[in-house]
Amino acid sequence: MAQIFSKWTNHLPHIVLLGVIFGGVSSVAFVWYYFSPSYLEVGYRPTQPVPYSHKLHAGDLGIDCRYCHTSIERSQEANIPPTQTCMNCHTTILPDSDRLAPIRESFATGKPIQWVRVHMLPEYAYFPHNVHLRAGIGCASCHGNVAAMEEVEQKRPLSMGWCLDCHRNPDMHLRPIDQITNMTWEPPSDQLKFAERVKKEKNLQPPEDCSACHR
Amino acid sequence: MSSMKATSQSAGKTYWRSLNELAETPEYRNILEREFPENAAEMKDPVTRREFLSLMGASAALAGLTGCRKPMDYIVPYVNQPEEVVPGIPLEYASTMPLGEEAYGLVVTANEGRPTKIEGNAQHPDTQGAANSFMLASILNLYDPDRTRRTQKNGVVEAGVAGWPAFVGAWAPLKASLAANGGSGLAVLSESLCSPTAARVIREFQAAFPQAKWVTYEPVSNENIYAGVNAATGAARRPLYHFDKADVVLALDCDFLLMESGNVRHAKEFSRRRRVKNRQDSMNRVYAVEGVYSLTGGVADHRLRLRSTQIGAFAAALARELEQQGLNVAGADAVGSAGGGIDPKWLKAAAQDLRRAGSKGLVVAGRRQPAAVHALACSINAALGATGTTVTYVEPRDSFLSDRNGLQQLVADINGGSVDTLVVLGGDPVYNAPADLDFAAAMKKVKTSIQLSPLADATSRLATWHIPQSHFLESWGDARAADGSLSVTQPLIAPLHESRSIIEFVHFLATGEDLSVLAASSATVEAGAVGNGGTSMDLVKTTWQEILGASGFAGKWRRVLHDGILSDSAYAKVAARIEADGLSDFLRSNPVGDGSGTGMEIVFQASPSVLDGRYGNNGWMQELPDTVTKLTWDNAALLSPATAAALGVRSEDVLQLSLGGRQVELPAWIVPGHADETVTVELGYGQNLGRVSEGAGASVYTLRTSQDPDMAVGVQIEKTGRTYALAGTQDHHSMKQRALLRETTLEEYRRTGEFHPELVHAPHHRNMWKAHDYSEGYQWGMAIDLTTCIGCNACTLACQSENNIPVVGKAQVKKGREMHWIRVDRYFKGDVDDPEMRYQPVPCMHCENAPCEQVCPVAATVHDREGLNVMVYNRCIGTRYCANNCPFKVRRFNFFNYTKTTPELRKMGNNPDVTVRSRGVMEKCTYCVQRINRAKIRAKQEDRGVRDGEIQTACQQACPVDAIFFGDINGNNGTTEVQRQKASDRNYQMLEEFNLRVRTSYLGEVRNPNPELHGT
Repeated sequence: MAQIFSKWTNHLPHIVLLGVIFGGVSSVAFVWYYFSPSYLEVGYRPTQPVPYSHKLHAGDLGIDCRYCHTSIERSQEANIPPTQTCMNCHTTILPDSDRLAPIRESFATGKPIQWVRVHMLPEYAYFPHNVHLRAGIGCASCHGNVAAMEEVEQKRPLSMGWCLDCHRNPDMHLRPIDQITNMTWEPPSDQLKFAERVKKEKNLQPPEDCSACHR
Repeated sequence: MSSMKATSQSAGKTYWRSLNELAETPEYRNILEREFPENAAEMKDPVTRREFLSLMGASAALAGLTGCRKPMDYIVPYVNQPEEVVPGIPLEYASTMPLGEEAYGLVVTANEGRPTKIEGNAQHPDTQGAANSFMLASILNLYDPDRTRRTQKNGVVEAGVAGWPAFVGAWAPLKASLAANGGSGLAVLSESLCSPTAARVIREFQAAFPQAKWVTYEPVSNENIYAGVNAATGAARRPLYHFDKADVVLALDCDFLLMESGNVRHAKEFSRRRRVKNRQDSMNRVYAVEGVYSLTGGVADHRLRLRSTQIGAFAAALARELEQQGLNVAGADAVGSAGGGIDPKWLKAAAQDLRRAGSKGLVVAGRRQPAAVHALACSINAALGATGTTVTYVEPRDSFLSDRNGLQQLVADINGGSVDTLVVLGGDPVYNAPADLDFAAAMKKVKTSIQLSPLADATSRLATWHIPQSHFLESWGDARAADGSLSVTQPLIAPLHESRSIIEFVHFLATGEDLSVLAASSATVEAGAVGNGGTSMDLVKTTWQEILGASGFAGKWRRVLHDGILSDSAYAKVAARIEADGLSDFLRSNPVGDGSGTGMEIVFQASPSVLDGRYGNNGWMQELPDTVTKLTWDNAALLSPATAAALGVRSEDVLQLSLGGRQVELPAWIVPGHADETVTVELGYGQNLGRVSEGAGASVYTLRTSQDPDMAVGVQIEKTGRTYALAGTQDHHSMKQRALLRETTLEEYRRTGEFHPELVHAPHHRNMWKAHDYSEGYQWGMAIDLTTCIGCNACTLACQSENNIPVVGKAQVKKGREMHWIRVDRYFKGDVDDPEMRYQPVPCMHCENAPCEQVCPVAATVHDREGLNVMVYNRCIGTRYCANNCPFKVRRFNFFNYTKTTPELRKMGNNPDVTVRSRGVMEKCTYCVQRINRAKIRAKQEDRGVRDGEIQTACQQACPVDAIFFGDINGNNGTTEVQRQKASDRNYQMLEEFNLRVRTSYLGEVRNPNPELHGT
């Protein structure tokens, strides 16, 4: 009697097994890479209602971050400047520029500008700016070199694992307080020694507890 | 009842929460042994399982379509940022909350212009930094989505016409015609006011309309107290009690700790004499005589159960007993001899104790007792020598106090046709005026009726014009505290709706000048209002210019706004001398009775949840378990076990109560310790104000008459044969018969200093896990003093407000799913007919060996290095193993997405520092981790450690008796208060035998019974 299944079907279980293993591994790899914040979030660059250039203001003109983002050292929130701050200069500088029309309109009507949020944390995560700056973490550590960006984009994944990496070992990111807004700061050769000293001085113990950020 | 047996315990103390527990009924066993009652886990409502699956299917499909794009989020900065506003840093303002005659000094927290949390103002005499649930819940009234938003004419916003300007337009000709004949035909019915600016604008009003009538009415007021003091001293003075000076207090049907005027101040000052720091300390003693179990009755060392109509006879008997003991009590000769029912031994012991305390004794009578009882209390206090120490008298100024006779006269005038324009300021007389007056019928006879109120209530539906009333957080005003101290109400937010406050409205009626918190808009100016660009702040400032004087006004005004109180502005104390002859005459013409009356008695009392109905549409208050009955969302006819047995009534049977030809149907609820032959009903329910109040209870104002507004004899009770499900929480989260509460008497404590160590067998345990090292850094811990705790629920509500805890509704509470993170367990002790009462607040214990952590499969609940047992919402997958394994039953599960349908307006009141939880997530007390983090960050910014007392949990901050202590139990910066408390010999851990090593410990309760009565 003829065989119902030909001989090659003896290998079918192996082929299926291999397929399952390959499929499993590749779907894990797919999710691992493509669903991660480093793939999904980094490089997010929405179009803003006003084509404000950080490169021009903070880079070329050298305005300090804190001229506009005034509350970063005092508050957990980093504020977006009120329209008034723009008008401090732009009543005299480029008062008729078309690109600044939304600013002038906002100032005249009292209707605020709706900026698109770039760095978005989930609502159950609380990030206090003030205490990080106090510890000596520079803006660029999380935001990248904003002074080189025409339009602000997200440069770091801002994922929990990424936060924890630094909380576990912040040594390479600690800088002197007067350097926190320096966008091009590089750790000097004696950085580890400096970090050791500053950790002791300021009693820095970056928490790794859930309750540090989730409330 | 015959199946009831006392559950025994090794120490012979018997605590039980409900009659079901005492009788160990199957219903109770079911609740006890299952985490939630049977079928609670199955989805029955509001969404059926099938519906739920279909909804899930649809939302999954939608998620598939929209999930590919990153959601846009916007940051909207200011155009001109106010100088003091820094995003992320909340601001605190002092203000004042008026509530009838009361004025509560507040500190209100605002996040970017949105008021989010109310606390007491430490400098204000009536709050002293603490709060009660009415203060805390009032923030929800501001964001009530059911508030009326525009002026309505005949129940509608007129099409095509802007609401308020339409009224402005209509008032001008009316005003002219009224003014022409001096305002005759105009009448105003107002709620109680106690404010200099209100007094000033009312003078303006009376100048414009000299013939107009002004009547003040409150359904629950201190009218009897004023009348009693008037009878005794010859003037309607306000008694101020000083419980911090009282060694012996006798409360005659008086819940001075919760429901009487000045309750926060009373509780605060009371706790100072109640606290026992060590074995050498003394404490006060409280006697309570009452028919309806009250919070004060629960705190009392001795409670005499007496029908409310017999309290007068008790007061008379006390007066005579004191006279027999050698005191000269004026009026004692004018009261008859005592009838039966009063325990002579009890009376004698209480009288002796009071007499020995002398000037440190105090007799207080409740506001629902008739004037004669207050007159007697006043006279007894004078005889004790207490006048001037534990009680002082002041003469209120700038006050418009409730006057029932005035209301009666007003209705008579309306029915007689002499009123054609009626203005109702606040209040809801159609709902809460005495039933015999039939205010609704009277109001229909008035040609034009104008009502100012926050919600569309029963009166609004009959009014020609309904004008939305501003909340106190969005209006300018001022108020006088009970002792007369002046404070200002300042707005924290611009009016959310087109509303006016009472003073703005009266000023407009009188002068035609339309002032608001905001400068007049062009629309109102066009509509003919004068509007000179000023705001209603000018109204208050004008008054205060007289108070503060013109020189240096600006500085003084800012000081008052900042402090929330004008120092040294209290009334002068008046020497209230008893006028014996007048008093005797009064007592003869108003006999207190001999207490021998029979027949079923009905007692009307304000609800500790919805008050007189003001909080009817407040979800927090509706869901707050009643302090004694533990009922939510409904009122009931409260009966004693014996009376219920005699009537053949079980809890939840619907009864028909008939009084004077009027009927109301209410479900029965049996309350141990309630007086026999008495039924108590709570006011304030059965309103139709909006989505919350709808269907909650029944109105009993329909039985209340102007002759007997507080209590009456002769009510008939009939069973209807139906039952109505009530949502009581008394059996929820029960921890079985274990030694949870420990107590002793002062005498025993002094002798032994022990708290029944035999109750707990705590063998030496070995840990199954490697213990964490908690020797370094901050280690948070809490201690709760059961001696001072009065069970008032302020902690529960403060926590709800601070931590964005959702309201779940009656059906969910019935299933044991209420979400309160700190609950107040109420226990009865002893005899079922006349038990004692105990309270125990239970938040998360933050065990170091936490049973919840050991069973979580996803590590969603873990320990942090400061000893907090933290709940990570975003990790939780909702297995509920943790709640099952928690011996304290403090974990709460989001069975549904309770916050999904929260209106946008309501969301403004959320605390931005606390995550709003979603469906399928467990939650519980966090020790206010957001406050801990904020304080730690602030300390870090200032290069210092966290100071002791810098972190107050929300429950601790609100607590009016300072029963909750929180802080670092490591004491990094010197010994902390919580360490000192935990070092006390009264300190104990609940369920210590489980080796949980809890962070929340209790200080055992000390009671101070009279040795002469103890053991009876």
